[in-house]
Amino acid sequence: MEAQLRLLSREGGARLRALGLQARLEVLALAGARLADPSDRLRQEAESRVAAEAALSPQATRTVLDALATAWSHPALLALLYADFPDPTVLEGFRPGPSGALHRAIPPRLLVQYASGNVPGTSATALVRALLVGAPTVLKPGHGDQALPDLLARSILDAEPRFEGTFLLAPWRGGEGGPAELACLQAADLMVIYGGLGAVEAVRGLLPPQTPLRIYGPRISGGVVLAPCSADPAVIEAAADAVCAYEQRGCVSPQVIWVQESPGRGPFPTSRAWAKALAEALERRRGALDPRLAVVHRTFYEEAVFAAAHDPTQAVYGGPDRGWMVQYTPNPSRMTPTCGGRTVRVHGFTDPAEVIAAMEPMASYLQTLAVEGDPPSTLAIADALARCGVTRITSFADQPWPPAWWREDGDEPLRTLVRWSVIEPPRGKVETTRTP
Amino acid sequence: MRRPGEGDWRRDDLRLRVLALMQGSPDAADPGEVEALALDLLRYQASANVVYGRLVASRGLDPRRIRHWWDFPPVPVRGFRESPAGPPRAPYIGDPAVAEAVFLTSGTTGGAEARGVHRVRDLSLYHASLLAWAREGFGWDGQPVRVLAILPAPDARPDSSLSHMAGVLKAAWDDGGGGFFVDAEGVLDLEALESALADAAAKGSRAYVLSTAFALVHWLDLRAGRPPHSLPPGSKVMETGGFKGRTREVPRAELYRCTAAALGLAEHALINEYGMTEMLSQFYDALPARAPILAIDARLHYGPPWVRTRVLDPVDLSPVPPGTPGLLAHLDLANLDAAAYLLTEDLGVMENSPVGSAPSGAPLELSGAPLEPRRAPLEKTPSFPSRGAGFRILGRHPDSVPRGCSLSMEAWLEATGG
Repeated sequence: MEAQLRLLSREGGARLRALGLQARLEVLALAGARLADPSDRLRQEAESRVAAEAALSPQATRTVLDALATAWSHPALLALLYADFPDPTVLEGFRPGPSGALHRAIPPRLLVQYASGNVPGTSATALVRALLVGAPTVLKPGHGDQALPDLLARSILDAEPRFEGTFLLAPWRGGEGGPAELACLQAADLMVIYGGLGAVEAVRGLLPPQTPLRIYGPRISGGVVLAPCSADPAVIEAAADAVCAYEQRGCVSPQVIWVQESPGRGPFPTSRAWAKALAEALERRRGALDPRLAVVHRTFYEEAVFAAAHDPTQAVYGGPDRGWMVQYTPNPSRMTPTCGGRTVRVHGFTDPAEVIAAMEPMASYLQTLAVEGDPPSTLAIADALARCGVTRITSFADQPWPPAWWREDGDEPLRTLVRWSVIEPPRGKVETTRTP
Repeated sequence: MRRPGEGDWRRDDLRLRVLALMQGSPDAADPGEVEALALDLLRYQASANVVYGRLVASRGLDPRRIRHWWDFPPVPVRGFRESPAGPPRAPYIGDPAVAEAVFLTSGTTGGAEARGVHRVRDLSLYHASLLAWAREGFGWDGQPVRVLAILPAPDARPDSSLSHMAGVLKAAWDDGGGGFFVDAEGVLDLEALESALADAAAKGSRAYVLSTAFALVHWLDLRAGRPPHSLPPGSKVMETGGFKGRTREVPRAELYRCTAAALGLAEHALINEYGMTEMLSQFYDALPARAPILAIDARLHYGPPWVRTRVLDPVDLSPVPPGTPGLLAHLDLANLDAAAYLLTEDLGVMENSPVGSAPSGAPLELSGAPLEPRRAPLEKTPSFPSRGAGFRILGRHPDSVPRGCSLSMEAWLEATGG
């Protein structure tokens, strides 16, 4: 393993440079395309292995694989490159940049990436990003996300054997501090962790203090349904789909949804009727609950039922035996995550400022918010949401499937992997040009 | 409709019946009477506590028609959570302003801002329960011992049920030389503790050391390099709690080995107490006067006759058969003025490892409770504890819970100090 690491660190970068950005892009797209093709044996293997390790239904697995294959398609990867680098060739050499300087984006000599959890695609996407920018990488996949990086690696090497020696799938669990892991972390130029706080804590102490660490930690997403859309059944159906995507393990699945009240529409608050309608939509999507979630589901359910006994304005729909839950609380003062596994909190609001105030304590965890409303209303609250910490505003229909170029956690996922080297112009000859 | 004053005399009657049970011999407890008392007590709570009454009604149940106590819905321990700024919400029957004690959870089930609150209207029930069952758990012979608590004193931490319990045990059992060796801020007075242990050893005074598991680790760390003590035979160490949220975790077997070595005791002198702020009764993993203390990995937890424990399927709350893990639910009759039937967040498994000699094929009981076949409760309960089985605590969260990049409530509670 240590020999492999030395080789990767010493020669991986040169091999990726030799391939060139254009070839890397094409090979990665070619490898991804195989996962989109139902007749390809790689896709077939992915369907069975991902379904088993991530405990997803066959249909959910196909949906996830299609979405990932789209994200790894040639146009999507190109869009990702251009989103982070207006001139992607800065990855290959010095190019004119701001103030007359020449700018060059340098990938790390060794990028170490750890993923945890079992959201399929996180680990493989990390591999794609690294190879795209030309960073030799050691990838420790999530314990429940092993199949896709393995299959993608095979697909890449099938498509272009010269990728051999440019990446390594780590066999260790992460944070155990074995000799190979320690050697790897000592050699890392940059470390990226996709995972929970426990995963970060386990690794942070093993990493040399000077090694930069980028963390994509756990996030919470939600939704806001503005009055013009609160009676739209299509919005409810889309919200139910978003809740069910990835069985709500993904950070983009909504856990908390606020519904704007429309006084006079009926005898009950709009938000309560909306919660009930969402419950009915989830019941139509009912599937078997992952048995590993039974305890947290039960704990959440019992607390919610007890809270409703305290306050009859609250309601609970579904339950552990249904495989989904909706807890309706009219207007809590703060946003609180759920237990996951198709579990949503629905709240009412009158003034959008109430939503902002409730989200404020969760600012450091916020990610995607589906906002359903007419464009002017959406724009009116978008700025406040962004300042609160929301990094992506979209619709329920698109919420689980961010575009390839998305600013994950408000970051530029490729740009964060490189460092800049600049050739300054002679003093006195400063001019303004485009940014790199 | 409840008549004026009805709740008071019903409560007084129930209190006397529960106290009588606690003050009698565990062997004399009539299981049939305990079942009847449990049913009466839960019916009383459903009528005297509006919220619990609603909870029962929300399950479509009429308390008068319920025939077995286990058909009442348990109250989740998170139901005890209260926000400091909010109104009292924890289950309680009576005027919260006149509670004799208010115990707070450490936050392990609630997060930093909301903590479990257990108002105790009547400390006499708590004291009777803890003393009677601690006598069994320690195997106390009635002779004074040196009670050394690696805990804050009750007056330093009046909101700690564990400190309160230690205070009661010290008042009842101590020979006059015991004490508390942690201050209100959690700082251990190492020299005072070492001196007290040395004094007990020198005088041949049996010592009962009471501590959390984490405090024992901390003490062992601090005293590294010092010679071991030689506590006299009959000394015991009671440890409780886990390491959640602490910087260092130590396997229980290692903790026991190191503690026993530091005190000059055998490992079977260490016992575990399992309790929770929301309950006024406790469980012990040994009943020394009744059976030899087993190796750490083989031990099970046992509760007193006024406690019933069930292991429930988290999906539908039906009882699971022995050997099958599930959620632990406890009925604690000492919780007369709060909620007696509690659903914990701890996973456990019922095991047929008898304390006494279990006749082959005989029905077994769990902490005095009937072991029921799935969805078919036993009508008849065997007596305590000649044929007994205990339960094994598996911990709070299953390791295999699927985790993704989504922030879960559990992770959030941990991150915010829960």
